[in-house]
Amino acid sequence: MASVRFDAVGKRFGSVEAVRELSLEIADGEFMVLVGPSGSGKTTALRMLAGLEAISAGSIFIGDKRVNDVAPRERDIAMVFQDYALYPQMSVFDNLAFGLRRRKVASDEIKRRVEEAARVLDMSELLARKPGQLSGGQAQRVALGRALVREPQVFLMDEPLSNLDAKLRTQTRGEIRRLQQEVETTTVYVTHDQVEAMTMGDRIAVMNDGRLEQVGTPEELYERPANRFVAGFIGSPSMSFFTGPEVGLTLPRNGAVVGVRPEHVRPWREGLIGPLKGRVAFVEALGRETFVGVDVGEARLVVFEEGRAVRDVGDEIEFGLVESGLRYFSSESGAAL
Amino acid sequence: MTSRAEQSLGYVILGVFSLIALLPVAGIVFTALQDPDGFAAFGSIDGLHFSNFTTAWDEANFGTYLKNSVFVTVVVVSVSSVLSILAGYAFGLMRFRGSTVLFYVFLLGLMVPMEAIIVPLYYEMRDNWKLQNTYWSIILPQIATSVAFGTFWMRTYFRSVPRSLVEAARLDGASSWFTLWRVLLPLAKPAVLTMGVLLFMWTWNEFLLVLVMITDDSKLTAPLGLSVFQGRNTSDLTLMAAGSVIVALPVVIVYVFLQRHFIRGMLSGAVKG
Repeated sequence: MASVRFDAVGKRFGSVEAVRELSLEIADGEFMVLVGPSGSGKTTALRMLAGLEAISAGSIFIGDKRVNDVAPRERDIAMVFQDYALYPQMSVFDNLAFGLRRRKVASDEIKRRVEEAARVLDMSELLARKPGQLSGGQAQRVALGRALVREPQVFLMDEPLSNLDAKLRTQTRGEIRRLQQEVETTTVYVTHDQVEAMTMGDRIAVMNDGRLEQVGTPEELYERPANRFVAGFIGSPSMSFFTGPEVGLTLPRNGAVVGVRPEHVRPWREGLIGPLKGRVAFVEALGRETFVGVDVGEARLVVFEEGRAVRDVGDEIEFGLVESGLRYFSSESGAAL
Repeated sequence: MTSRAEQSLGYVILGVFSLIALLPVAGIVFTALQDPDGFAAFGSIDGLHFSNFTTAWDEANFGTYLKNSVFVTVVVVSVSSVLSILAGYAFGLMRFRGSTVLFYVFLLGLMVPMEAIIVPLYYEMRDNWKLQNTYWSIILPQIATSVAFGTFWMRTYFRSVPRSLVEAARLDGASSWFTLWRVLLPLAKPAVLTMGVLLFMWTWNEFLLVLVMITDDSKLTAPLGLSVFQGRNTSDLTLMAAGSVIVALPVVIVYVFLQRHFIRGMLSGAVKG
């Protein structure tokens, strides 16, 4: 096991700067999630760590060793790919054993490790099958197993759940987290799904347009986003943004953009800031709660209501804001104030 | 969904075209089995005369020609396949300086017909290489043209392989060499076999090159042998037909054995697994 450090790392593809001055420290045994929209540079960062992309600027360290010029196979890392990348012509056993055989591990030790991984991942009965005979979920487990048997310094995972259906994804999310806690191997996990990021990561690094926007625990990112991008990206439904004059309120920081999450926008009662009046633009009734999109002047806020609220698009609605839930951002830079 | 009428029409069209394709072949086979003495073109049926084949075989010396053809074809196909796999792998999956330009040079080999280079090639072989009238004079140029096509073919195949598979192998500690032979090639079987069949066919049927380079009768390949036989035997159509069947048979046999892979290989680029 080892720590990982990005030191002002940059990557250029021709004139495109995919990653800019990325500096990030990942502690030994930590589960770090890189999250961001498409094209944010998260996968490129991961591939540079794996050695699959050359580094244009800066340095990457695994443990104390600078690995810029170290071949992928000598970095002692294992990667789980989005499409699993299992060797189609080999049995599951041979898929798992492939990396160990390449590293000249003794055959009885290979057998022991593969069987152990198969037991942990509950796939002992799949060992004789070929990848073509596996379901998506099973193939996913084999891909995890192939990384696990290697007992590497660092696990890298590139959107490993994105090909699974919603239910299996939730289940596998828990499984990966449990496994990682068991083996305590440093893990870098790339996803564009902020739910995965929030539920799996010890810490989350939010990337956008090649830049690192913020690093922190899920709670920090949710409660104290460093800027508008992070505030809008983390949380679902996402934070609503408006200015005081737009909704007809006088708020403490004049001229700033206000951000508020749905749970801090409630139907009107005493003690809230307001009342604000708006027209219902959409209703998302999830059963246990209902999110109501409301247009107030130019701004759109999402109101949180418990249970199944009966609202129709076009209805007038009166609501208020929870003061402690308001976040302020600079209208120019977007940075949190 | 296609309607019954559409489906029937489809079968009719396919049937007509199959007929157009098969009729000349059937005609030759039919002619080859006629009585050589009482022959009228596409005519009488008075039993099957398989003896025409043995007569043609003996008279035309096809044993020697076929042996030459097998030798030349096996050498050309196996050497070009290995070279094409290696070159296709490099062009398909490796990044190196000048790869695009080099690849276009390979394509040039694919685009220039034998007729365009045959004359300078003849002088080159005769004067500089002193290889005229040797097997090398037909093997080497055919390897060159085959590798041009094979590289193009294998590069296309390797480009269609998911990149992550190669990357997974790299991270697992496999060298480029190991990745090629153990990870990619087992998957490439349909593509390699299809390439093999095509190269086999082209090499087997090559006429002009052999005609120009080889003067010694004992070194001729089967299509040339057939042509020589024709020159001596203009009157006996049944023997000619029997000879044609003998010369064409190996290609048909190879195709029949490999056709399942052949069709899969032809489709592999178009249809995603």
